[in-house]
Amino acid sequence: MKIKRRTFLQGMVAAGTAAALTNKVDRATADVSDSSYATLIDLTKCDGCPDQDTPACVMACRAENEHKYPEPDPAMLKPYWPQTKFEDWSNKRDVTNRLTPYNWIFVQKVNVEVDGEMVETNIPRRCMHCDNPPCVKLCPFGANVKMKEGPVYINPDICFGGAKCRDVCPWSVPQRQAGVGIYTKLDPIPAGGGVMYQCDMCKDRLAEGKVPACIEECPQEAMVIGTRSEIFAKAEELRQQYNGYIYGDKQMGGTGTLYVSQIPFEKIDEAIVSKADDPEKAMRVHDTPYNVIDNTSHWSSAALLAPVAGAIGAFAATVAVKKRNKQEDAHDENN
Amino acid sequence: MMKTTEKILRHSNTVRIIHWSVAISGMLLLFSGIGQMPMYKRYNVVLLPGLYWVSDYNITLVIHLIAGAVFGAAILYHIVYHLMQKEFSAMPRSGDVSESIIIIKAMLTGKEEPPHGKFLAEQRLAYAAMGLTSLVLLLTGLIKVYKNTGIVILQPEFMTATTLIHTIATPIFLFLFVAHLGAFVIKENWPLFPTMFSGYVNKKYADHRHPLWNYKEKK
Ligand code: HEM
Ligand code: SF4
Ligand code: SF4
Ligand code: SF4
Repeated sequence: MKIKRRTFLQGMVAAGTAAALTNKVDRATADVSDSSYATLIDLTKCDGCPDQDTPACVMACRAENEHKYPEPDPAMLKPYWPQTKFEDWSNKRDVTNRLTPYNWIFVQKVNVEVDGEMVETNIPRRCMHCDNPPCVKLCPFGANVKMKEGPVYINPDICFGGAKCRDVCPWSVPQRQAGVGIYTKLDPIPAGGGVMYQCDMCKDRLAEGKVPACIEECPQEAMVIGTRSEIFAKAEELRQQYNGYIYGDKQMGGTGTLYVSQIPFEKIDEAIVSKADDPEKAMRVHDTPYNVIDNTSHWSSAALLAPVAGAIGAFAATVAVKKRNKQEDAHDENN
Repeated sequence: MMKTTEKILRHSNTVRIIHWSVAISGMLLLFSGIGQMPMYKRYNVVLLPGLYWVSDYNITLVIHLIAGAVFGAAILYHIVYHLMQKEFSAMPRSGDVSESIIIIKAMLTGKEEPPHGKFLAEQRLAYAAMGLTSLVLLLTGLIKVYKNTGIVILQPEFMTATTLIHTIATPIFLFLFVAHLGAFVIKENWPLFPTMFSGYVNKKYADHRHPLWNYKEKK
């Protein structure tokens, strides 16, 4: 990685400063540094590549990551006992209008009504690379990691395919493919379900000093990558220029992906939900995506401090008892 | 005074409170920890009456964190308390392994057991195993909650190792937990069972089975 790793101590100092500056514990800026990577997606510039069957960013991602795509063992393509289903995308590899294990970015197309006029809006969607990602923090196998440099990625050699990451991601980003990964070695023990796949921010390209493939290939230059401080400044500049809106800076307690739009995100969200076959499963741009980790952090702090309380309690209790015994002994002698 | 029912204090109030705090929070941690694995939905536990909520990671995580707080507080209380009291009767000693084998043989064949101290050799070994596993779970658990506060991003490799250790220690904890309960299937151990509730044990039993237990020395 090009970006220097900050030391633990600096991180704590920065966290403290950030908290002090914003006057509340702002988890968004507390655990990723200003020099981590962030990306910006300008919805005003993205036109969805109307002249192409498949948007350039999607094509670029597929070409870049094809060698990482799962090649399942046909014998393992069987239901996850005792369930009757399994998730297999290996014969639907050409699906490009949603996230799949073989498609890590897609472009949502919705018509949004603005001042009585319908405006076509294209939204490239992939992992947001959240600052405090529940998918990472709750993975029972530690297969899912968040790098200080920003990217979130899933190690296919450790992933069991339990899909917990997808359940706790408010956008259901990670996608499962059966028949690959460590669970196949446990067969016939019915545990695990494959491997989860998603955008990794092209971390290997970043390490080589290149920008992500999707960003490089976009003809409209609708997407940008830079350090967090650069991208946040740029997003704010664009927001003012468009008199528009930002999505991804506050949501989830902060993410590594900022969308900038002239149209309010509530309107885009409404359009997404109303267009969806199953609104429950729509990949939304709602204002309050639920972050399990952020919402339980006070309990985490309590669990962190409790042992200290236990130790102090035992110490105080023992000292008190000893003192009382001493007093009683003295009392006995006096009698 | 009736000599036959004379009782001796085996477990003080403090010891019993700590024991039950660890036991109850330990059970909750096992249940909610397994709930943090994608298992209850997969294996249809959610379909059992009243258990529709067990596949909700948010709910099981909150239970895990509260139980983890109690577990952590109780374990640290236990360690500091007994260190300060200089009470080490549950710590394993050399020769405990071979003595345990003799005890188990004696139980199986109905022969006379060797004389015990306050605890049996195998109890001391079980204590060490349970204590060590609990410490591993507590330590890795604390690293997990630390990273969940969101104030740090720890090294990915370190987090992967921590998580795997926490997960792998769980079946070990479960096994020791079941073995601990299993000990009370054995008839010889029955008199010990109520002592964790009342605190007291019959003097006759203690003098007979635990002649090396110097219960008069300490109040
Ligand atoms: C009897 C003791 C314990 C058992 C059997 C146990 C078991 C488990 C299991 C099976 C999981 C899911 C797999 C995983 O994420 O690694 C888990 C997760 C977790 N455990 Fe425990 N645990 C115990 C004690 C603790 C303690 C004392 C704490 C904290 C003080 C703790 C904190 C956590 C957290 C925060 C998670 C959620 C995953 C994460 O955020 O990394 N655990 N536990
Ligand atoms: S982001 Fe660029 S490449 Fe992707 S759809 Fe929009 S214009 Fe096309
Ligand atoms: S968008 Fe979803 S998968 Fe990506 S980091 Fe956030 S929670 Fe994880
Ligand atoms: S950053 Fe890389 S992996 Fe992610 S969507 Fe773009 S090309 Fe695909």
